[in-house]
Amino acid sequence: MALLQIAEPGQSPVPHQVKLAVGIDLGTTNSLVATVRGGRAAVLPDEQGAPMLPSVVNYSDPSAAVVGRTAQAMSSEHPADTLISVKRFMGRGREDANEDAARAHYQLADDAAGMVRFVTAAGPVSPVEASAEILRVLHQRAIDTLGDELQGAVITVPAYFDESQRQATKDAATLAGLKVLRLLNEPTAAAVAYGLDSAEQGVIAVYDLGGGTFDISILRLHQGVFEVLATGGDTALGGDDFDAAVADWVLQESGSQALQPGLYRTLQARARAAKEQLSDAESVSISLDGLVDSGAAVVLTRAGFESLIQPLVKQTLRACRRCLRDAQLDTDVDNVVMVGGSTRIPLVREAVAEFFSRDPLLDIDPDQVVAVGAAIQADILVGNRPEGDLLLLDVIPLSLGLETMGGLVEKIIPRNTTIPVTRAQEFTTFKDGQTALVVHIVQGERELVADSRSLARFELRGIPPMVAGAARIQVTFQVDADGLLNVSAREAATGVQSAVTVKPSFGLNDEQISAMLQASFSHAEQDKQARQLAEQRLEAQQLLEGLEIALAADGDALLAPDECARLHQKMSLVREQMSGEDVNDLRIQTEQLGQASESFAARRMDKSIREALSGVSLEALDDGVSE
Amino acid sequence: MAFPDFKQNYFQLFNLPLEFALDQGQLSARYRQLQQQLHPDRYASTSAHEQRVAVQYSALVNQAYATLNKPLARALYLLELAGMSQEQIAAEPMDGGFLIEQMELREKLESMHDLVDPDSVLDHLVAEIGGDIRTHQMEFSQAYTASNLDVAASACVKMQYLEKLLQEAEQIESDLMDKQ
Repeated sequence: MALLQIAEPGQSPVPHQVKLAVGIDLGTTNSLVATVRGGRAAVLPDEQGAPMLPSVVNYSDPSAAVVGRTAQAMSSEHPADTLISVKRFMGRGREDANEDAARAHYQLADDAAGMVRFVTAAGPVSPVEASAEILRVLHQRAIDTLGDELQGAVITVPAYFDESQRQATKDAATLAGLKVLRLLNEPTAAAVAYGLDSAEQGVIAVYDLGGGTFDISILRLHQGVFEVLATGGDTALGGDDFDAAVADWVLQESGSQALQPGLYRTLQARARAAKEQLSDAESVSISLDGLVDSGAAVVLTRAGFESLIQPLVKQTLRACRRCLRDAQLDTDVDNVVMVGGSTRIPLVREAVAEFFSRDPLLDIDPDQVVAVGAAIQADILVGNRPEGDLLLLDVIPLSLGLETMGGLVEKIIPRNTTIPVTRAQEFTTFKDGQTALVVHIVQGERELVADSRSLARFELRGIPPMVAGAARIQVTFQVDADGLLNVSAREAATGVQSAVTVKPSFGLNDEQISAMLQASFSHAEQDKQARQLAEQRLEAQQLLEGLEIALAADGDALLAPDECARLHQKMSLVREQMSGEDVNDLRIQTEQLGQASESFAARRMDKSIREALSGVSLEALDDGVSE
Repeated sequence: MAFPDFKQNYFQLFNLPLEFALDQGQLSARYRQLQQQLHPDRYASTSAHEQRVAVQYSALVNQAYATLNKPLARALYLLELAGMSQEQIAAEPMDGGFLIEQMELREKLESMHDLVDPDSVLDHLVAEIGGDIRTHQMEFSQAYTASNLDVAASACVKMQYLEKLLQEAEQIESDLMDKQ
């Protein structure tokens, strides 16, 4: 249902047709793509029938990256060129990533901007570019399977991802040529997959322990609305850490020193295999053949393994406790959903069951549940379920704040605030004639700027010179439904407006992204042009169709005759331009029409609020009251 | 990014009477209903402009819900609608008895880390603060209904003090839990 497309049943001018959209789980260890076909959501396997694509990219051949199992097989031989678990590096600064990089034996390139770039045979590679390679493979798989280009994709991110990590994920999708319908939090996606299947009502806890990240979310499901009450987690805690704990233990046990990078990768793979076997077996033997001179094997029992990972599991339960408190529940949770491969470990299941006093739900494969939920959301977003009134109300995982005097943080949007959210904050100048002001945005729960994550620092220029304290600069912070931040500023006395684009401190800027896009499309410049034109025409088409319906329904009631005439004039300009070949002109005309129609859209929104409220039946209200 | 031109106050937006007492079920039901209608997800396949408008409206509904949902925020909002500024509210004189009580509660809280069994003491303290807050909510409700804004504002300030204390108590509680 669309704002400008509120039509009586049967009045819709567009015949109903299924639009192709997918959900993508871009995981630390494995990635998946799923879609809804014939009303059922399912993961799309590759040609060999394997649903999971290992999130591994090899850059040994400078001309073509290799993704998936083939890349995985090259890992021991080419450790520096083979990037595994790049998700752990998404959106992080170089300083911040050093420790993880050292552990994974990556070489990081020196970078003046403080960004992470891996040194490979194909040159320096950013985590965003490597992730784009993975997404490209899944994108192609979806096109091949479904037989046509996609309308868009919902891409999942850990709920605890911060702004830069989210932006990096979106950038990767853009690089891979995907239209992002929405960034969706992984635990929320899992809840959708379960919620729809079982039509549950009540409070759900989602415990999501993947290869590299941990999330806990508490949601309330009521009449088709999923309301996230609180979320928490750790973006650098997962199965990888279990593998590392086992690998380190093996080295210690065999009395060996640190290994060469390639050998360490081999040991890591054996540690992972041992971990997986211990979910069923009571003990496993880990071979050191080819790794150390003695070449013997060490035996790891399940109890031994459990004591190795116990501190990490405990860390996840602490996050659960905090999340429960944040959710301010006066009842117990009704259901616990387990997500992520690491929840196959018996100790993890037992600990979670004990903590919530509930046996966790395991009906859906914990590796696939996120992709399945994302596919359902994608299906809804492209409008394939006109009757489906499922709605997700998510939250921001970390507080947003501003640097104030003395390096302190003033919180402007606290964690677990429902998105989208808009907050305005007023600033003033502290010197006579001051014309610029620096605003520093940070994310996190700590009180000192030094302990927080720096998101962006920007300067507001062009403030009219006034005496100190006279200027009133209103800065508006808006977090959209993807959890991404937009900032705009306005000087109240003079109305000077300054649009601020927030780009994360360690992110790519738009020029870098278009340069990368250019590079990846260099063979297909014409394709790109054609695609841009097609996309722009679609955008124009949507706007025109929506407006036509809206004008037919409400034009007379909500618009003055001259307003109506102006809109019609702009509409015919767009219509003329649509048959042309100039992308830019069409974009500008569409943009102008869109702007001109905004106040009409707002009036219709007001009207639909009134209708929503006056149309409430007494039964529906009673239902709400008795909850 | 212009804020939506929205002349209704939050109570009108949710079709609720302008008073402190609130039907929580009705608030939640209306909230879900409004978001079903206005959330950007409902406009995902429309033009960027419509999506932008939807984000603004949806954010406004979230803001309204968050304000009405929390008793203290709701009380402050009622005072704001009645024309009282934040400065005026903060300037309300506090009686000495309340301030002394506050200091005593704070001392108890600060000595918490030294106790052998802080949990039960903390539980008791949290319950005490919660009870005090409810008392002042009643006080606010009565004063507001009687249009006695000064008394209502003073009750609000007391709630602010106590909420702050409660937050600190919860922080200590979480520190203690993390140590276990």
